[in-house]
Amino acid sequence: MTKHPNDAQHEMPRISDYFWDRSGTPDPEIQRLESLLAEFRHADGPLTLPAEIAAPAPSAHVLQFSWIPRLAAAAVLLLAVAIPFFLPSTHMPALLAGPAWNIANIEGHPQIGAQSLSANQSTAKLYVGQTLTTNSSSRASLSENDLGEIQIDPDSRVRLLQSGPNHKRLQLDLGTIHAAIWAPPGQFVVDTPSAIAVDLGCAYTLQVAPDGSGTIRTTLGWVGFHLHGRDSFIPAGAMCSTQPKIGPGTPYFEDASASFREALHTFDQAGSSFDTATAALATVLAQARSRDGLTLWHLLSRTTGPARAQVYARFAALVPPPHGVTREGILQLDPHMLDLYWNALDLGEISTWRYWEQSSDPKSSPH
Amino acid sequence: MLPMNSPVATPAASEDGLVCAAQRGDRSAFGLLYARYARMVHGILLSRVPYSDVDDLVQDVFLQALPRLSSLRDVSKFPGWLAAIARNRATDFHRRAKSFDELPTDTTGESNTSTLAVPPNSHSRTEAHAALDAILSLPETYRETLVLRLVEGMTGPEIAARTGLTHGSVRVNLHRGMQQLRQLLGRKAASLTGGEL
Repeated sequence: MTKHPNDAQHEMPRISDYFWDRSGTPDPEIQRLESLLAEFRHADGPLTLPAEIAAPAPSAHVLQFSWIPRLAAAAVLLLAVAIPFFLPSTHMPALLAGPAWNIANIEGHPQIGAQSLSANQSTAKLYVGQTLTTNSSSRASLSENDLGEIQIDPDSRVRLLQSGPNHKRLQLDLGTIHAAIWAPPGQFVVDTPSAIAVDLGCAYTLQVAPDGSGTIRTTLGWVGFHLHGRDSFIPAGAMCSTQPKIGPGTPYFEDASASFREALHTFDQAGSSFDTATAALATVLAQARSRDGLTLWHLLSRTTGPARAQVYARFAALVPPPHGVTREGILQLDPHMLDLYWNALDLGEISTWRYWEQSSDPKSSPH
Repeated sequence: MLPMNSPVATPAASEDGLVCAAQRGDRSAFGLLYARYARMVHGILLSRVPYSDVDDLVQDVFLQALPRLSSLRDVSKFPGWLAAIARNRATDFHRRAKSFDELPTDTTGESNTSTLAVPPNSHSRTEAHAALDAILSLPETYRETLVLRLVEGMTGPEIAARTGLTHGSVRVNLHRGMQQLRQLLGRKAASLTGGEL
């Protein structure tokens, strides 16, 4: 073992057991630093090997020494192959040659990692784990045959997290993307600092501000916005904002009245007082049109007690409850009845979302 | 079958076997080595290069290591060998960044001008960035060990096993590094509160 210049065997400084190996009584100072600094930790992303070296070539070494007892060689290989099955999924070595996504340089010099695309380089590849960054004068687009096309606006940063046959995932740290997706619903996910956006068969624009907040506008189909069990569904013509640590706000159609939108914004603010929120809710309900059933459906699960009853009354007046839905059931947030009521809005089949929920990684969440 | 609750729980002999298998072209074995050592490489790089470039450089380090692996004669030296590649890659990054700066190219400039690319947006994030900046201002020896312990979550024994340092060295680095970090953070807090703590 290498002797370090600072090694002083005579000096064995006393540090807490917790600081040394996390045993013993937790050290609050160290715990606090660990918690603060965790956001900079390695994210267990996969290693991407270029295709030309991803496939293992039989080395001369192996061929020359074929007299080595095959049993021993097989044991080593068996160990290497079998070990992944005994590792937790977070430690799985996703050693992907990975189908790289195509980058088209639209304008300026987008960067892949620390490397800038040169002026005469119109295309490149983005492998899983790599980051594509645009500055104020550059734009690019990403495409993948089975997925669709994503345009990256200036001052944006995206990272390719996953590119499996049925699961493709980007991380948008900052900036704006315009996605046109033809992959089946639920297969394309974008992580942002304050929510994840799940494509449900659509085209949309997703923005992330420097403070981590985000906005989504759907132009075709619908999108699910999700954070720690808080969901918002945004159909074509609607938009929704999201805030760090709070998650998706309440979606609304962009053609709603200004006073409706302002009141909804006030209601969504976590810091609003009870009186302010109550007044804002009253405005939202008074201004709501049948089309705004989208918003009222979401408000059912974001209100309690008498407020929820008021929302239900207005919602039922605008959109008659379908067969199988009762007032009592909705006030108790019966999941089946809520799903039936959502489907009555004819904005998207909720089973698509439920299927995604069941099949997605329960640990998946933004940073 | 060996219990494999975490990548570092494997006996050293198995690890040597993995290195041997990887040397013979077994990509699964190399993938396991990546899973076990990515945190160490990430920490070594994070203590030397801007945060926004670290993930890409981690990939670079393993891509550099793969073709060179067959030249490693003593497989037990793999941890220190890989750590050296990571440190060299960081040095190379700064060398290239320096020459890159001299060109009138169009970049975001984030990697050369600031340690952290994303502006802090909340009190806790500000604190996190301040804490990392403070660690990164420490002498290299201390900051690497502190990053591995406090950011990457490795224990002292893990750091020793992964980097090739002795337990004594790691203890000294943690102890002295933490002393200096406390002073730095204390000074920052004092400057923010006008000295009233």
